[in-house]
Amino acid sequence: MKVAKIVITTAIALSLAVPAWAQQTTLRIFTGGQQRPDVMRKIADEYQKKNPNVKVEVEVGGATSEAQQQYLSTVLSAKDPVLDVILIDVIRPAQWAAQGWAEPLDSYLGADKAKLLPTYLKAYAEANQVNGKLVALPYFADAQFLYYRKDLLEKYKQPVPKTWDEMMETAKIITDGEKNPQLQGFSTAGAPIEGTVCTYLVPLWGAGSDMTKDGKLNLDTPEARQPFQLYGRMKQAGVLPKNVAEIPTDRIRVDFQAGNVVFAQNWGYFWNRVENDADTKVKGKVGVTILPHDKGGKSATCIGGWQLAVSAFSKNKAEAVKFARWLSSPEVSKMQAIMASHLPVFPSVYKDPEVLKANPWFADALPVVETAKSRPVSAQYPQVSDAIRSNMNAYLAGTKTTDVALNDMKNRLKPLYK
Amino acid sequence: MNFDRRSVVWLSAIVVAVNGFFPAVWILLTSLKTETELIRSPITYLPDAPTVGNYVTAFTAQPILRFMWNSLVVAGLSTALCVLVGALAAYALTRLRMPYRNLIMSALLAVAMFPLISLMVPLFKAMRELGLLNTYLALILPYAVLSLPVCTLVMAAFFQDIPPDLEAAAMVDGCSRVGALFRVVMPLSAPGVFTAAILAFVNAWDEFLLALTMMNRVNMRTLSVGITLYQGEFAFPWPLISAALIIAIVPICILIAVFQERVVGGLTSGGVKG
Amino acid sequence: MRDAPVARGKDLSERALGTLLLLPAGLLLAVIVVYPIATLFWGSLHSVDNANPAAGDQFVGFENYLRAFEDDRFWHSLAQTVVYVVVTVPGALVIGLGLALLANRPFRVKWPVRLGLLLPWALPLVFAGLIFRWFFEYQTGVVNDWLGRLGIAPLNWLSDPTLATIAICIAIMWKASSFMALMLLAGLQTIPKSLYEAAEVDGATAWQQFVEITLPMLRPAIFVALTFRTITAIQTFDIPYAMTGGGPGDATETLAMYIHKTTLDFLDFGYGSALAALMFVFSMVATSGYLKYTRRNAGRNGG
Repeated sequence: MKVAKIVITTAIALSLAVPAWAQQTTLRIFTGGQQRPDVMRKIADEYQKKNPNVKVEVEVGGATSEAQQQYLSTVLSAKDPVLDVILIDVIRPAQWAAQGWAEPLDSYLGADKAKLLPTYLKAYAEANQVNGKLVALPYFADAQFLYYRKDLLEKYKQPVPKTWDEMMETAKIITDGEKNPQLQGFSTAGAPIEGTVCTYLVPLWGAGSDMTKDGKLNLDTPEARQPFQLYGRMKQAGVLPKNVAEIPTDRIRVDFQAGNVVFAQNWGYFWNRVENDADTKVKGKVGVTILPHDKGGKSATCIGGWQLAVSAFSKNKAEAVKFARWLSSPEVSKMQAIMASHLPVFPSVYKDPEVLKANPWFADALPVVETAKSRPVSAQYPQVSDAIRSNMNAYLAGTKTTDVALNDMKNRLKPLYK
Repeated sequence: MNFDRRSVVWLSAIVVAVNGFFPAVWILLTSLKTETELIRSPITYLPDAPTVGNYVTAFTAQPILRFMWNSLVVAGLSTALCVLVGALAAYALTRLRMPYRNLIMSALLAVAMFPLISLMVPLFKAMRELGLLNTYLALILPYAVLSLPVCTLVMAAFFQDIPPDLEAAAMVDGCSRVGALFRVVMPLSAPGVFTAAILAFVNAWDEFLLALTMMNRVNMRTLSVGITLYQGEFAFPWPLISAALIIAIVPICILIAVFQERVVGGLTSGGVKG
Repeated sequence: MRDAPVARGKDLSERALGTLLLLPAGLLLAVIVVYPIATLFWGSLHSVDNANPAAGDQFVGFENYLRAFEDDRFWHSLAQTVVYVVVTVPGALVIGLGLALLANRPFRVKWPVRLGLLLPWALPLVFAGLIFRWFFEYQTGVVNDWLGRLGIAPLNWLSDPTLATIAICIAIMWKASSFMALMLLAGLQTIPKSLYEAAEVDGATAWQQFVEITLPMLRPAIFVALTFRTITAIQTFDIPYAMTGGGPGDATETLAMYIHKTTLDFLDFGYGSALAALMFVFSMVATSGYLKYTRRNAGRNGG
């Protein structure tokens, strides 16, 4: 009898313990060094509190999109199950879907999908859907803004420019007036980096055109030449820095922070640095607005930001999707906005008073982010990007004329858009 | 005549030292500056107000000492392995009558002719199948292999110049051939052996791609990858990275300073040839 | 190759011993490189349609190689690589030899000179590239600063194809000459002083001593250094990547950079593998001259 009791008690105890132990899942999320892994850790801790049977490990990868791609390409080509959720750049979903690296989320979301997608900023709902399948969920947003020196515009009584020509004129007036050889009128990315794709696309969109139309290449239009011609005019007017072809994104910020730039085209992280860095010379003098357009066109900006994909080789897909959904919620978006100044992916969060208190400039940011357009969505995006940025860079360096640059670009893009 | 000689010697010393040190000095000065100081035009060389803040950040933002330890273990063990295996191979190729000797040497060279990036995926899979990911062996073995061709051929070049009579003498005294290798040949070609060792060590210390892929746990990362983790998506904080670079170079400098006597010889001047 | 005076009967065990000694090396190589290299060649015979990768790998025979022959970008990157090889290999040899000779003098305090010799090579390649990028920067670069002090207008180094190539070559040679110097210095040390002293007595000038004593005695070291330097030069990647990213346009892109982009960025493994195989062929051709030299040399020494 005694033995029976012991056996039964033990059996009951074990049967209670085993499920709890067996259900403990470990999820591993991959993030780059620049996407605030410290904040991600805090957010993951919150999730662990709400879901005690889940343990979240944060793996911090290389800081640049490039370094991450090096690592992820190798690991995912080898079909390794080590990662469950992966933070990817907004330009990657199409490629990942085609490669079979991202698990399509439609079946996990079911009917919720139709309710969920409209709550995001439009461009993200578009960027993450490839051939009708939802490939990733937005984590935080980003876009390119036109930053300018409020004080200098006031000094020369210039209004905030709405068109490219207005901006050029204003820049010229200011640089002529200031007589400072180091002051640059307008600075944008020109080195052969990803940002230079936006350098080409933004004026193209501002002229009312786009690179593709109904899935076909659309570069035989007069508008396709306009970005080149615009920068050509700027160069002649002396508004662009002479070495624009070697300028990467952060250099613009460093120059602006030192007081040497009037107008700058850059991403969201810019604001915090130029306003709040210890050694900034432009605190309180920074204005932000939407990028200019052409007369008769409409302003558009380039979308950025990072998305959450679930690895197709994960061993805990259901749990991973649940985690990704929570990470892509207004609640977490707000946490990120306050802790890391990440731009939210939900328009509603921009208006939250606590968020605005931490980031007053979000009020100005919202109208810009709402005009964001996707860079070309293609399974072969890296080749597309390479064709555009290489030729834009060559044009800015002066080694190709408009005709040659545009032609080379078209020739490289044609096989990708058969 | 004497005066001329001395000034030539001094001039030589200055030329070599300047050539080698100027970027290191540049990095050192940069590590003491703040970011906005760097973009002034005309540029300034000396920092306005030298700050050690970058070093503090370098040590606290990442476990840089752990990275250094990992690099030391991996580089040290792979170097030992490479030199050992290479010495055996070099001896076989130069001292023993082997068929297909030239073929073997060509094969050794051929192995070095493939870009690492193209071998990454199969190599990663192989390491994964062997269960070696995130262990020191995952880097020790490939690093030993990467430097094997150069170590073997450098040592072979030195072994070749040592007359076999010395080994014969040792063997008459009862030494085996391998024993002769370690007791006679290697000590006499010490400059070659240490050159091979330094080549292998620095190759391993600076290697990036394999270290990035094979070790994804933070506490196993090596220094070369760790330094790049200070970089941002857009930003490249030169002062901070310069501080990290200085921290990374110091062990190598110490190593070189200690071993340079051996590398450059001074063991047997002239007793070998002639 | 001279053998120690050994009885004939030991020939067989010599071969066995040799094989045994080569076994560790062979084993390491088999596990670490032979399998990936085999995969590389096999992969180069396949292709994936990157617009529809789910369709999987298809065997395409030599199509990837034919594609390379018609690919302008391949030829251009190969040409650019050849430029770097032709300039930096002899360049690094000459500079490295000079540095080694200078460093070989009897200094009272040796270590700063030796350290200065080896430091360029100890600096991680990727950072060497970034530092030189900074040196050649238009506004805040050291080079333009000094040109300015000499009264020359600043040059747009990294935005001009020719200037960028020159800048990259300078950076590569700075680093590679250190490697050469390291190899040659060890070789210099094994040359007995007695030879130079005898030559002095015979009235030979410094130049004659150099040409008739130093160079011949350094031949094995030079050979090894040149071979490896050539192989590495053909794989030039890090420095131009850090300095110009291949720009302006694709002007400074090397074959290794194109392979990197194809394999890692475009995920076109088949084509990337074919390009790597072609790079291997090119390396074999380039170093075959050196290999012929070894055979000749070995024959001369009696083995």
